[in-house]
Amino acid sequence: MMMQILSETNLFDFGLVGRQLPELLKYLPITLELALLSMLIGLAVGLLLAVIRMKRIPVLRQIAAFYISIIRGTPAIVQLYIAYFGIPMLLKYMNLHFGTDFDISAFPGFACAVFAMGFNESAYNAETIRAALSSVDRGQIEAASAVGMTYPQALRRIILPEAMTVALPGLGNSFIGLIKGTSLAFTCAVVEMTAQGKILGGRNYRYFEVYVSLAIIYWAVTIIVERILKFIEKRLELPEQIDKKAAAAEEPEKARTFTKEAKVRYDTNKKPEKAFSQ
Amino acid sequence: MIQIRNLKKRFRNNTVLDGIDLDINEGDVVGIIGPSGTGKSTLLRCIDLLETPEEGEITIDGAVYSLAEHDRRQTLALRRQTGMVFQRFNLFERKTALENVMEGLVTVQKKPKEEARMLAEGELKRVGMYDWSEHYPKHLSGGQQQRVAIARALAMKPKLLLLDEPTSALDPELVGEVLETIRDIASQGFTMMLVSHEMNFVRKVANRVIFLDGGKIVEDGTPREVFDRPKSQRAKDFFAKMHLLKQPEYTI
Ligand SMILES: Nc1ncnc2c1ncn2[C@@H]1O[C@H](COP(=O)(O)OP(=O)(O)OP(=O)(O)O)[C@@H](O)[C@H]1O
Ligand SMILES: [Mg+2]
Repeated sequence: MMMQILSETNLFDFGLVGRQLPELLKYLPITLELALLSMLIGLAVGLLLAVIRMKRIPVLRQIAAFYISIIRGTPAIVQLYIAYFGIPMLLKYMNLHFGTDFDISAFPGFACAVFAMGFNESAYNAETIRAALSSVDRGQIEAASAVGMTYPQALRRIILPEAMTVALPGLGNSFIGLIKGTSLAFTCAVVEMTAQGKILGGRNYRYFEVYVSLAIIYWAVTIIVERILKFIEKRLELPEQIDKKAAAAEEPEKARTFTKEAKVRYDTNKKPEKAFSQ
Repeated sequence: MIQIRNLKKRFRNNTVLDGIDLDINEGDVVGIIGPSGTGKSTLLRCIDLLETPEEGEITIDGAVYSLAEHDRRQTLALRRQTGMVFQRFNLFERKTALENVMEGLVTVQKKPKEEARMLAEGELKRVGMYDWSEHYPKHLSGGQQQRVAIARALAMKPKLLLLDEPTSALDPELVGEVLETIRDIASQGFTMMLVSHEMNFVRKVANRVIFLDGGKIVEDGTPREVFDRPKSQRAKDFFAKMHLLKQPEYTI
């Protein structure tokens, strides 16, 4: 009934929603590139900020707090505009002042958008990453120090692998938010999926249909990304149970490496409470 | 030969170590005992620079290290001479037993993977944990975890092995296997400082015992001298409280 009215009155063109999908999907790679590159910046800078705050590095710590406060205190769209107009100005200034030779007209809006969204993301990621880093038991870090590892080594080899499992759900969520946030990139004259949708809508004034198409695509992408994140989470889980080494193959070798004295251990092990109780 | 000189550490207004001097011969197993809160852990942690004391230096094989002032390079240099076994094992949770032991060999000593693996397997065999090479810490009992932690420390070939109450976080039935492992490595000539409340064990495994109290070494001697003929009233009281004298001889 409703369908009939819709199609007879030509109020809502169902077919168009589907027909437009391929045209919009052509721009999905740009959307994903924006999101992925911004996320990379967001992770790298976020980690840096998190370590600065964790280790309470003087001066840098105050700068980090100031930076995070600014980013969190201003709308993303404003940050994008500032990047779009500000970065070329900065380059021009550097050309004039330091005699560098940046081609300002060639500096793409795409890069401005990635910078702006990446730095925006970093301020939010910093907190997630800091919480994850500090969830790693101090004992492991001391143990890493005790074997002679430097802090960067401990961070890379011991702390991050464990913190990652803690941070993953939060970072995953913010990545999903970022994918949808890329629709703001039009501010930097980037034609990504939503911008292309607007262009299509402008051609035939079927704005409603095109936004429905867009909604479907974003939703589908989100579901796929969620699936991927679940998969990664599963991969990061430690196995439930592990087999002992094939005892038969190792037994002779063990016998060789053990001293006579150590063999006594096997007997005493059975009743250690007797052997050692105070 | 290891010499510790004038080690002083306080936390705010609480002086914990009040000028400790200690000479340790190679192959010595020094048992450190004393009342709770007397600074036994702090002593070991200062030697490993997990705490920074106000004063003190340590000489290991002729190389002098300041414990109070050290840049990053000196810190690492000293830590590479020492190994630490913690009360709560502190194994790397996301690494297998084998990887735990290999970690320092690969990351710190920059040994090739294959060589590190062989060495690590050797250390796991030494503590009887080779069969559990592929297990993660969460799959291991406390006693097994501690044996892996001992292997991890030994793999670095430390000149001085520091053990801070290695059995006090263990269920009673798991204490034996760890003590046995320690006794094993003690007999292999490793130089060790062992903090423990297992008095009978200290008596058996250490060739020298120091009794720490009030930031000072109050008793220092062979196990017989310290346990059987303590000079200070503090040590006498402590042993009386531990009912040590009533206990049967430790047997193996
Ligand atoms: N980070 C710290 N800040 C302040 N005081 C500390 C700190 N660490 C240790 N202390 C204090 O130093 C003293 C010595 O502690 P330590 O842990 O070395 O004792 P211990 O001899 O190992 O005791 P236990 O036998 O109970 O393990 C205690 O009074 C403790 O409160
Ligand atoms: Mg202690």
